[in-house]
Parts: sequence; structure tokens; C-alpha cells
Amino acid sequence: MAVTHVHRVLAFASGKAFGFARRILLSGNFVLYLSIAFFAGLYLFMPYIASGRNLANISSNMWPLLALVLGQMFVLILGGIDLSQTSIMALTSVIGGMLMTTRLDPALFAKSPLWGLLLSADGSPLSGTVLAVPLGIAAMLLVGTLVGSLNGLAVAKFRMPAFMVTLVSMMFFSGLAIYLTKSENIMYLPDGYTRIGSGGIGPVPWSFLVVLVLAVAAHLVLRHTVLGHWFFAVGKSIRTSIVSGVPTERVIVTGYAVSGFCAAVASILYSARLAGGRPTLGQNLLLDVIGAAVIGGISLFGGKGKVLWALFGVLFFVLLSNSLSMLALPFYAEPVVKGSVILLAALLDVTRTRFLAREAAA
Amino acid sequence: MPDSILQFDGISKSFFGVRALEDVSFSLPRRHLLGLIGENGAGKTTLMNILGGVLAPDSGRMRLRAADYAPRRPADATGAGIAFIHQELNLFTNLSIADNIFIDRFPRLGRSPFVNKGVTRKQTARLLESLNLLLPPQTLVDRLTPGERQLVEIAKALSTGAEIIIFDEPTTSLTAAETQRLFDIIRDLRQQGKSVIYISHNLGNVLELAEDIVVLRDGRVVDAGPGKDFTIDRMISRMVGRAIDQIFPTRESKPSDEIVLEVKGLSQTGIVKDVNFALHKAEVLGLFGLMGSGRTELARMLFGLEPFEEGEVLVNGVPCGRICAGDSIRRGMAFVTENRREEGLLMEATVVDNIGLVALSAFAAARFPHLLRHRRLGDAVTQIAESMRIKSGPVARSLAKNLSGGNQQKVVIGKWLMSRPAVFIMDEPTRGIDVGAKYEVYSIINDLAARGASILLISSELEELMGLCDRIVVMSKGEITGGFDRGGFAQEPILHAAFKGHQRLLQGGRAGQR
Amino acid sequence: MNAAKWVCIVLVAAALVLTDPSCARRDGTGDQVTVCFAFQDLETEFWVAAHKAIIETLRSKGIQVIERNANQDANRQLEQIRAAIARGVDGIIIIPQDGESAVTIVGEANKAGVPIGVFNRPPTNRSRPALVVVADNLKISEQAVAYMAEQAKKLGRKVTPLILVGDLGDSNAVARRQGFMNVIQKNPDLFNEVIEVPTKWDAVTAQANLEAALQRNPNVDLIFTSSDFMYPQVRAVLEPLGKWKKIGEPGHVILGGVDGDLRAARWMKERYVDATGVQDLFFEADALLNALLEAMKGGQKTPEKWMDDPGFALTQANIAERAKDMWGFKLLAEQGPAGAQ
Repeated sequence: MAVTHVHRVLAFASGKAFGFARRILLSGNFVLYLSIAFFAGLYLFMPYIASGRNLANISSNMWPLLALVLGQMFVLILGGIDLSQTSIMALTSVIGGMLMTTRLDPALFAKSPLWGLLLSADGSPLSGTVLAVPLGIAAMLLVGTLVGSLNGLAVAKFRMPAFMVTLVSMMFFSGLAIYLTKSENIMYLPDGYTRIGSGGIGPVPWSFLVVLVLAVAAHLVLRHTVLGHWFFAVGKSIRTSIVSGVPTERVIVTGYAVSGFCAAVASILYSARLAGGRPTLGQNLLLDVIGAAVIGGISLFGGKGKVLWALFGVLFFVLLSNSLSMLALPFYAEPVVKGSVILLAALLDVTRTRFLAREAAA
Repeated sequence: MPDSILQFDGISKSFFGVRALEDVSFSLPRRHLLGLIGENGAGKTTLMNILGGVLAPDSGRMRLRAADYAPRRPADATGAGIAFIHQELNLFTNLSIADNIFIDRFPRLGRSPFVNKGVTRKQTARLLESLNLLLPPQTLVDRLTPGERQLVEIAKALSTGAEIIIFDEPTTSLTAAETQRLFDIIRDLRQQGKSVIYISHNLGNVLELAEDIVVLRDGRVVDAGPGKDFTIDRMISRMVGRAIDQIFPTRESKPSDEIVLEVKGLSQTGIVKDVNFALHKAEVLGLFGLMGSGRTELARMLFGLEPFEEGEVLVNGVPCGRICAGDSIRRGMAFVTENRREEGLLMEATVVDNIGLVALSAFAAARFPHLLRHRRLGDAVTQIAESMRIKSGPVARSLAKNLSGGNQQKVVIGKWLMSRPAVFIMDEPTRGIDVGAKYEVYSIINDLAARGASILLISSELEELMGLCDRIVVMSKGEITGGFDRGGFAQEPILHAAFKGHQRLLQGGRAGQR
Repeated sequence: MNAAKWVCIVLVAAALVLTDPSCARRDGTGDQVTVCFAFQDLETEFWVAAHKAIIETLRSKGIQVIERNANQDANRQLEQIRAAIARGVDGIIIIPQDGESAVTIVGEANKAGVPIGVFNRPPTNRSRPALVVVADNLKISEQAVAYMAEQAKKLGRKVTPLILVGDLGDSNAVARRQGFMNVIQKNPDLFNEVIEVPTKWDAVTAQANLEAALQRNPNVDLIFTSSDFMYPQVRAVLEPLGKWKKIGEPGHVILGGVDGDLRAARWMKERYVDATGVQDLFFEADALLNALLEAMKGGQKTPEKWMDDPGFALTQANIAERAKDMWGFKLLAEQGPAGAQ
């Protein structure tokens, strides 16, 4: 008698647990819960993961990556991909560095094509002036947007596949960045600029504020404007969008321009942190960007994406990186673990979609 | 009393609390053809999915050849001798007929992994012969007409030893000749001992073929009996739940003399040649022709989706230069394409997002930051959805891909209605939707005309055009071959105009090729 | 569910935003002494051997080593160092991607008061205190080329020299070339015009360019490679031309290089190569580690010391006594007869 009673209770409890687990799994905020659970689990083994210093590290690593993912999200929603974000970072880092630097070593830079034209031993014509930093930043944003627009034009007007266009862009602009500086790094950047990477208003870091504004703007555009709806429409079905009068070419160019702009923002944050204009900036970040986007739930097939998902994906990814850094694992374990997690995330996404579709089928 | 080969007993199924099937019971006698009819959403597809092992019923059971039958996946159904010929054919167009038929069980050379091509070819030839489809087995499916492709599917079903064959809307893409051939084959199948379930909206065909008829409505069996006891009226009224006095609503308004759209000398090499016609205000103008006559291409040119070399298009007397879809929309035109899944809808988007797509800019705030007025948009969409009787869940959450064909089409039309266009081009708006929804679409067309809009209606169903239009223009091979006023509508002369230029008329030629 | 979601988000956001990066609290490693060793990819044998030397030395002293590979990404290395500091390491050793990022990273360690040592790739300026060991590449290559010049004099005629130049973005490559040029310029009557073959530190490029250069100038008498890892390419080009010959055989080209790796060791032993400028890897590792451990023990937070490795030239003349000091010979001995090609 008691046995069957226990059986019933167990069955009931496991049924409830199963239902709860399923709800969590299918929820759109799954990655957030996963991150929190992961953090809690790590805390048990490594309490210093919750130290002020480590949390600051996590935070400072999150915001520039989030800027990149926000830009990539626009392109992913359109059903495309932007492989050139890292090269845009490198190019803008170099251009900003050249405009803002206060000192250039002739031994290193004399061979640069811009030596004599724009650059000299004292830097650029703007160096030392009050305008150096704002104009430098403005130039970086402008260049990022322009390169992005070029990508968008190629994809929209010439119907070239996004993968190919942005891959070519990546190689070309990366090469350009190295050519302009003859693969030297630019140092001696003014304090006003490097403070962006490490300072803030009171305890709140600048990088957070900048990316917060970016994220809010992205959310507003995607959810509350006509343009935002057009992004999703083009991503879900470009043919239907054309017939329905959506200006698809304009939408596509804008999407890629935004991605380039965001890459420039990320470049500002990373360059300020490293206190240098570096032609190799961000070389290995592409996996992180796409990985964080996929983990967050932004579909590689287009038509789906939320700012919140980008945030959760970046949070989880940075937590993962941070935890790998903390553990004393051999160094080759890191890419293996990261790759496996991204694979799992993609599988999970497919399973969830199929699950939801099956439930809705009639 | 012939024994039943298949029996449904109290089958019920719900999704998310919505009842799709409720206590469905009927049986299929051996060697009979049972016609299963009902509106879209009545439950026919769900029932067939249960039969085919795609879904499991919540309650009830099935019996096959007097034994319990509970398939857990489609392979179980195929193994039990049940085959489906779907509306959307599942053939590989880049492979040959033989490859398609034997794709999952090629005859091997002994026990090696190599395919025995000779045996494959011979078996395929035999199957094709039994269906009177005299084509070489290596023919690529890509080259076949829809009718021939369907026969290949039937051959495939027969080759798996199917005893029960279910046809789902088989005649939508067939010419008249092919339809007849299909019926002959179905009769042959029954003589060979197979049993058939026939699902179709073409009630006349069902009456012609079926020994038994079952009517589903809202998931229940509301009528069943021998086919000879049924009439079209009885079938319709049972399906819809009310007496339908007529298939077409009465046209009450009359077209004015004012010309809103004029086409002069439109030509594009190989597609259309010297097309001239005029569309008046408040007029419903039908455009008839065989498949491949250039009607859809013409419509796309008028709307700006395809270019044309010569000729002019004038909207309200003003010539349009190079047009694009956006320009046409701004001039007050609308275009319901014939391919709603790929060009009419955003399948993965909600009903609100779909219906709002064209008129979106009208719902943005006037001043910066131009934010969308979500609530106003939602209200407008709900209003349209209600007035068109679109059956979906909550409009802000139901996805277009989960709606029935008829409701999907209404969403597409609703999308265009939001911007109140003056000229509506509709290409096959009632294809693949059930009787009830068709009537509603006809009423919408009538309403539009009554309110002063003009409609260019492209359709392959002559009865439909004759019932709705003020005038019918006929195209054949890219040229206008005839024009008829309402008073002078007659099948023969219109068909004649449609076939002009086609030498071989009905003898299974490739005339209807797209 | 929605309310819970927002609460979570606010909590997480607050935790991440309102943290003071200057917080000096370090928890976590207890009594065990821990050192973080951060490097970049280990592309050549030199780095592999350096990595091994450093790890073994640290472990032999009972120190726990946390290894981090930044895959040639300066930004990643910065993040890794920060994480290590947060974890609470007692000391840091880095092989930086370039001199500029070294400055930034040293700054981070300084701020946190963790002693830091930089191995072999020096920071571009001395604005921030650190322990640095750097090989005097110029002197090392000068010594090797000086010996090669002596051998050239024995030929009694003018000699055509060729140098495989490294990636001039690397200060080491620049120094080595300068050392070579110094010797050439000191002997204007001995040497014809120098043939410079760029390699960008890439083996494939080196082989292709060397091939082309030898086609244009078949009568090269002396080849100096800026790094020993390109010896296989030199051999691949010389052998079909009949110029891969031992010392004393007709057709021998005077060969020399810098680094002192396993291949150089083997071919010096077999007398194909005349001289090798050696970075005294063991000296460098020991010097840096000793300095770091001393600083750690003494509780110094921002120690500063620049140590030079003068290196030496291993030549056919002194090979008997000094072979054991070259790290490549050590590897050769470990590998036994089945040495790498």
C-alpha cells in the first residue's frame, strides 16, 4: 500500500518536474537562466568568481562584445552574415589611432603610405588639439558605417551572397589596415581617449554607458519603428517583402551599415582599453561574436532576433570564457570547450524549434 | 454487405486545448472509394495524419483488416499497406522516374551494395504500363507534366504494395484530359482490389466517383452515407452548416465608364505580345487562359515586378515610367500573387505582422522619433480580420504558417485592404481553399467593386469568372485572343479563344506546360 | 514569469555595472604559490623549448602554473591577465604579442601590485616597471657572422653574401639583420653586394624567394638565415643545385643562422652549417624566473630589472666545449638518432 502511494507521489513529482523543466527549456529566456545557474554552480567551486575584481572583468569584457553582437544581429535578422566586423575594427582602430596619436616613431612609420601626407613624428595635424579625440572618434564611426554600406550595396544591388561579400571585405580591409601602418601598432594616444576604456562616471564604466545607449536604440528601432519591421520582413521572406512594397535594397544596406557602425563602436572600446591603434585588433573575435549570437537564440536563418537575446548570449559566452580562464585547464581545452558549447547551443535551438512546431501542428 | 478494410472508432485529438477531431467513427469498405469532404480546418488533414502515423490520437482506435492498427511513425503506415498521394507531390525533380519510385529500396545485385539497374528499369516499366503512362523509366521527373508526375506517385504507391490509397486534392494541377485519365486509373485500382479515400473540394468529381461519402465539420462527422444519396447542395450545406443558395454572391453594382488602368501595346519577347485592354472603375474584369498563357507574367509587369520592352501602362490617364512595386502601391494598386506561401505571406510571422506589412508607414507617429503606434495597428488589423472572418488564434500571436489555406488567403487580401487600393490585381485567389472560404472571398470582391475599386481577376476556373465578372478577357500564348461582356458569357467561345494557337487540344499534349 | 525575468535582469545588470575595478581584494589561491604563464601560440621550436623550460623550472620549485594561450591576440591576453589577477596569482610571466601590448599589460599588473616578468619580447618603452629579459640579437648575430667572415677569408677571393631577412615588424629580425650588416660593412673588400631575401618569417615565402634569388645569382658563397627554422627551406633549395655540401667538400656554401634549434644542432654536428648564433634560452629562463621568484618572496609589487642575454656563437671551432649550452643540442640528445628533419 505504501509502495504504490510512494509511486504515485514520485510520478506526480516527476511529472511536475518534467513539465517545469520543459517550460524552462522552451522559454525564450532559457540562456539567462542557464547563465545564472552556471554562475551559481561555479561559485560553489571558485568563490573568487564573485569577487569585485572578477565581476568587473566580466563586465568589462561583455560590453564591447555586446556592441559587436548587436550589429551582427541586424545582419543576421536579414538572413545574412557579416564576417568583416573584425576587419572594420582593425581599420577603424588604425584610423582613429593615426588621427589621435601624439607621437609616431619615424623608424617604424616612415614607410607608411600616409607618412608626409597626414602623418609626421608628432602624429596627425589634429594631434594635441582639443578636437583630436572627438574628430578621431567621429572618423572611426564614419569609416565603419561606410564600409558596412559598401557591404550592403554589394549584397542588395548586385545580389552577391553575404558570406562571400563580407569575407572579401574582411580580407581587403584587414590588409588595408596593415598596409597603412606597415603592421606597426600606434601608441601614445591621448588620455581623453584611453579613459573611455578604463574610466567611467563614478562606478559605472563608460563602455557600459555607450553600449547601453546602443542597445536601447537598437531595441527601439527593431520593435517600434517601421524600419525595424521591415528588417524582420526581409529576413523572413524577401520575395513577399518586394511584392508588398518594402524598399528591400535600402533596408539591406542599412542593416550592414549598422553592423559596421557597431563594429566601429566596439573598436573604440577595445582600442581604448589596449591604449593603441592596432591593425590586428579583433582578429580572433569572429567566433565569439557568432557564438554569442547563436547561443542567445538569434537564428542564423534570418527573421528572428531580440536585443535581450544578444545580451543573454554575450553574458553566457563571457561567463564561459571567464570560467575557462579561471580553471587551471590546459590551454588547448579552451577552443574545444567553446566550440562544443556553440554546437550544443545550435542543436538545442533546432530541437526547441522542432518541439514547438510539433506542438503547434494541427 | 462488403466488409470494411479500415475502421475509425471514436477518434479524438486536441491541440493546445483546441479540439481538432471529436469522436470520429466511420469505415471504409473493401474496394470502395470513400469521398471525405469538409471545409479547411474541418479535421481531414489531422485524421489523415493519424492514419499515416504522423500523429497519435488522444483517444479512440483504428482497425485495419480486423486487427488493431496503431502506427507510431509513417514507416509503420507504409508497411501496413497505406499510401498517400498528397497535393504537394514529393518527387525529386532532378531524378528519373525509376529512381524516384525505388529511391528507398533499390533492387541490388546479389548482396553487393550496387544497384541492379536492369531490374529497376524493368519493374518501373511494368508499373508505368499498368497505369498506361507510356514513358521511358529514365525520363527525368523535371520533364513531366503535373498529371504525369502524379501518376509516378501512384506508381510508387503501388510498388510498395499499398492496399489503401488516399488521394488528397489530386486534380488541382491537372488538365481536363489528365483528370479523366486519373479517374480511369482510380476505377482500375478498385477493380484490382484496392480501396481508396478521396479528399477533394471538387464536389462534382466526388459525386462522380464515390460509393460512400463522409462529411466532416469542426472535427465531427456530420453526415455519412452512400454516394448516390448525395447532391451537391446537400454536401455544401452539410459542410458549411447552413444552406447555401448560391455559389456566387449577387453582383449588385455596375462598373462606371471611367478608365482607371489602361494597357497599350505591352510586349516582352517570348512572354507577351501587343497586349491592349482597359479596366474601368468599379469593374471586375476576368483574365482567363490556360496555364502558360502569360497571364501571371502580364500581371507582374503591370505591378512592376517584371520589366517589359514595349508599350505603356497608364494609371488614371497618367503613363507610368519604369515601375517598381513601391511605385505601384503608391499609385493605389494591389497585387495578390498566386503563390501565397512564397510571395504573399511571411510564414514565420504573426497575423498582425502580415496584415500590417503594406500599410505600415501609415501607423507611424508623424513626428520624430516616428515610433509605431502598435495599438492602433493592432486595432485596425483586428477590425479587418473580423470583417473578413479570418479564423486564427489571437492575431498578435498566431503564425501565418499555422492557418488553413483559406484563412491564409484572407490574410493576404486583408493586407492589401489596409491601404485601400483603387486597383486590385488578384492571381488565382481561390486556389486550394474550401467552398466556404471561396464564398467569402467572392463576397469581398463584390464589396470592393461596390465601393468603387476595380479588380483584375485572373483565374483558371471559368465558372468562377463567369459568376463574378463584368467582362472576361482571354489570353493565349501571350496575346489577347478575345473579350466577352457579361451578357455574352458562354463556355464554348471562351474556351475556344483560350485554346487558339494550340494545335493539339486535349490529347495529353504539352499544351498546358508552364 | 515576466516579472521574474525582469528582476533577474536588473540584478545581473546591477552586479555587473556597479563594481569597482580598483578593488584590490584578492582571494582564492590559499597557501599554494601560483604563477600565471601567458604566451602566444608557440609557433616555432624555440618557443616550445622556452615554454618547456619555464614550466619545468617553475614546477620543480613546487609552484602551481596556470598556462594561458592567447593565440596571437593581444586583447585576449589582456583579458587572461586580468582574470589571472582576479583569481589571485602571486606572479606573472608573459610572452607578449608585441611590445605595445606588453606595455599595457605590464600596466595592469602594476595597478594590481602583482610582479610581472616579460620574456624575450621587450615592451616598447620603460614607462612601466617590469622584469624583462631580452636577447641581444644584434650581438649574437654579429658573433656568428664574424666567424662566417673568417671562413670566407680563407677562400681568397671576393665572396657573395645572402641574408634571409625576417619580418621587419619584429624588432628581433631588425636587430639580427643589423648584426649581419655590421660585419659585412666592416669587410668591404671581402664581400660583394649583399643579396637580401625577404621571408616575413614564413617558411613557404622563404623558400620561394630564396629559389628566385639563387636563379638570378647562382654564385652565392655565403647564406645567413635570420632564424634557424628556415634551414629546411635552405636545404631544399641548395640540394638540387648541388650546393648542400659539408665543410671542405667542393660546392660548400658557408652557412650560419641565429636561434640554436635542433636542426642547427644536427647540421652543425654533421658539418653542413658553419656557425649558429645562440639565444641562451636556459640562461634567459633562469634569469627571469630567479628575478621573479625573488621579487615574489620579497613582497615587491612592481619590481623592475632589465636583463640582457648576450648569447654566444657556436662555431665549428668551439663546438666541442660549448655544444652543451645550446638548447637545440639538448633537444637533439633527448630525441636520439631519430631527430626531426
